[in-house]
Amino acid sequence: MTGVYVHIPYCVKKCAYCDFCSVPRDASIDQYPDALCREIELSRDRLPYEGPVPSVFFGGGTPTVLPAEALIRVLDTVRRTYDLLPNAEITTECNPGTASYADFVKLRAAGFNRLSLGLQSADDRLLKALGRIHTYEQFLTAYGAARDAGFQNINVDLMHGLPGQTQADYLDTLQKVCDLGPEHISAYALILEGGTPLYTRVREGEVALPDEDAVADMEDAGMAYLKERGYARYEVSNFAKPGRECRHNLIYWNDEPYLGFGVAAHSSARGKGDWLRWSNTESIATYLKKLQRGKLPTAETLHIDKKEEMFEVIMLGLRKVKGIPRQAFLDRFGLSMEKAFPEAWLTVQANGWWADDHARYALTPQGMDHLNTALCYFR
Amino acid sequence: MDQKHIRNFCIIAHIDHGKSTLADRMMELTDTVSKRDMEAQLLDSMDIERERGITIKASAVRMFYTAADGEQYMFNLIDTPGHVDFTYEVSRALKACEGAVLVVDATQGIEAQTLANVYLAIDNDLEVLPVINKIDLPSAEPERVMHEIEDVIGLPAEDAPRVSAKTGMNVEEVLAKIVDQVPPPSGDPDGPTKALIFDCLYDNYKGALSYVRVFDGAIRPGMRIRSMATGHEFDVTEVGVFTPQWKTVEELTAGEVGYVAASIKSVEETKVGDTLTDVEHPASEPLPGYMKVNPMVFCGIYPADGSHYGDLMEALEKLKLNDASLSFEKETSAALGYGFRCGFLGLLHMEIITERLEREFDLDLVTTSPSVVYRVKMMSGETIVIDNPASLPDPSEIDYMEEPMVKASIMTPPDFVGPIMELCQNNRGVFEHMDYIEKDRVKILYTLPLNEIIYDFFDSLKSRSKGYASFDYELKDYQKSDLVRLDFLLNGDMCDALSTIVHKDRAYPKGRAVCEKLKDVIPRQQFEIPVQAAIGGKIIARETVKAVRKDVLAKCYGGDISRKKKLLEKQKEGKKRMRQVGTVSVPSDAFMSVLRING
Repeated sequence: MTGVYVHIPYCVKKCAYCDFCSVPRDASIDQYPDALCREIELSRDRLPYEGPVPSVFFGGGTPTVLPAEALIRVLDTVRRTYDLLPNAEITTECNPGTASYADFVKLRAAGFNRLSLGLQSADDRLLKALGRIHTYEQFLTAYGAARDAGFQNINVDLMHGLPGQTQADYLDTLQKVCDLGPEHISAYALILEGGTPLYTRVREGEVALPDEDAVADMEDAGMAYLKERGYARYEVSNFAKPGRECRHNLIYWNDEPYLGFGVAAHSSARGKGDWLRWSNTESIATYLKKLQRGKLPTAETLHIDKKEEMFEVIMLGLRKVKGIPRQAFLDRFGLSMEKAFPEAWLTVQANGWWADDHARYALTPQGMDHLNTALCYFR
Repeated sequence: MDQKHIRNFCIIAHIDHGKSTLADRMMELTDTVSKRDMEAQLLDSMDIERERGITIKASAVRMFYTAADGEQYMFNLIDTPGHVDFTYEVSRALKACEGAVLVVDATQGIEAQTLANVYLAIDNDLEVLPVINKIDLPSAEPERVMHEIEDVIGLPAEDAPRVSAKTGMNVEEVLAKIVDQVPPPSGDPDGPTKALIFDCLYDNYKGALSYVRVFDGAIRPGMRIRSMATGHEFDVTEVGVFTPQWKTVEELTAGEVGYVAASIKSVEETKVGDTLTDVEHPASEPLPGYMKVNPMVFCGIYPADGSHYGDLMEALEKLKLNDASLSFEKETSAALGYGFRCGFLGLLHMEIITERLEREFDLDLVTTSPSVVYRVKMMSGETIVIDNPASLPDPSEIDYMEEPMVKASIMTPPDFVGPIMELCQNNRGVFEHMDYIEKDRVKILYTLPLNEIIYDFFDSLKSRSKGYASFDYELKDYQKSDLVRLDFLLNGDMCDALSTIVHKDRAYPKGRAVCEKLKDVIPRQQFEIPVQAAIGGKIIARETVKAVRKDVLAKCYGGDISRKKKLLEKQKEGKKRMRQVGTVSVPSDAFMSVLRING
């Protein structure tokens, strides 16, 4: 099984906290979908691939800045080139300020069956502070339109720890969203990344972020509330109604293979011997040029040795509430985690962070709060 | 060269008054270096010197000047350090000269430290030639400064050259005055060799070098020489001068200045102030003035990463080659492991050495709280001397303690007298005297405990006087004082590297301030950490470092796995650089940051 990720790097406007690969819409946007299709076709015989494909995910940037027809053309190319499972999860991210009912209808008809809407907060004041292009009202419109168009699997992205945000503000957002009843909610703590406009504003003292304790309180209160409303936590920052976990993200956290297409996209799969992790060029110009010449736009390939692969499986797998099935670890590496990392395993044990389930390596909620510390034991 | 045509002189100036610039112009005018090759301020060769605008190590440059009479003169310009901590080095450099050029900034006037060095020069019988610099600046007041020189120092300054070292204006006049007014050396060229070591330098290729001024006789390669202070003997392998590049010469004769390379193995074998003589025809008496300098300020220096202990030792040994006034011995700390107890002439000296260790030897260091030397009178009647708070005996065995006091002299414009006196008062100062040297210049004398000025007194003084006040001090005596050792505990475990000896009245505020600071610099850990200040067993202040709540990356997707791994790597690296105090991890820089508190 191999997941497919498609990166659309364009945005109407970059958000103040964003350090992902995203650029304004420019002349290249017209050539980009064709280049993507070309890359997907070229990749079929040149990249390691073990079918079938259980999930396709369009992320960005903002995929929906492209016309629905372009997204559909790319999806059709994936479908033609790779063998998608009949019930594959096909997601696109969507900024509520960029899609209409008509677009949703077209996407739904073409086979997209999951939508991930970036809301971040139901408070317009905070949306403005983050440099988002939409209001809460616009989100409601987009959400309603998506439901009307037949999307029965919707994720809403939220953030806490925002400039000036209080716990009450955050719970208010959660309540409004839970009342809408999406199938999945991602609830991230804001990460202040260097080089972003928000980082500068915070450093210059123009805006203040809630302190460490306030953010932790928000997070704890938010998790309790989501649980009460029927959203089970299944990963550090992800919550879903029963059976609605995001299949695509689970591919990452299970350290299963995926192919990434588009500028700056990353891929991960087993090569002839080592596990490989590679990334595409971050320059749109280079990306387009290479594909015109019939070359794959790979910029860098990393070989991951066994020890490193084990660490990555642990680093990603322990993010999940259910952790890593013991048997899966044994099957993949031929030895148990206790054997591979005896000291680290014992330290986590001594801290009381292993969940009481002998069939899995999973952390207690407290252990998950200290995941970085725990992972450092394994380095 | 015959001694009549030699002039040995130094330049005395306050920081920024233009000493190095004037030296540069002299080298240009004498064609010692061409303008094109001139690296601005050639004499200050160390990066730190250049950045701080001060000269740390003395050096000497030889130039040839053809005077108006058509005769050629050899000039040896001996550079002197410009800071209070290096008084002994200055005095040795002055000893090597017959004259001193006193540079005074026409916009600033005379500063306290300059005055001290001028008196030192006069005490050494040097001919002092005042020069008024920076006359090209609009704010220059050469007349006022001229009167100041006459009033304050008592030197005739009517004919003092008024120059701009920056533009080169009238610098020629200074050279002419040096020929006319600085007396030539008058040693005996045929007598038994006597050469004064006024500085040492370590060169990676030539090894340990001594800068010398030959008074009598000569030094040439092949000669066997003896250090009169230590009795060690060496074979001279090379003699030379700085032009300012290295240039070997056949010999250094009476009156000349240059360097001597010899089979010198250990730094302890030759010291600044020592006299070198010829083993075959030895002098009977050394030149006067050799003194073993005593460090005034001590602190522990440890490698941030314990495995670099050997590197630190090697670096200290190398620095010691250049700097006879640095002392160090092995020391161990429960918190910091193996390191060195280092002694310094003063605070600036300490800062310079730690900075050089970090910069030139690429070491990460942890420095413990600086300490002065205390005298402890024991109940048994015995007196012990300690420079490390950790070695203070149990209070029940101590009769009383004495601490070193300094006589501090501060020069300031009158506007800042109030804030400066308040600062001195806050630091247990005893007011002695105040003098209006002129209408806009006041000299304030205070007696201050040395342990109050070794933290950030100088910085506070500068900030309270908008940078105008200057400060100079000399050791006065020891006085009985009510001192206690202030300890700090992290999660119940004492951290010896933070212990400090303070006056009893200062213990509470200091304890509180350090606890507050520690609370901020110690990162949150998995458990709550009480941070306590204690005297004896008694807790006098407490803060708490709260336990970490969340230590987890909110988001981790396919695209950023490598980045997230790097973040973890950094976190792990950060942990490695921490020191373990009992159960608590303390970042190396935490030790440094608490030093900057004067509670």
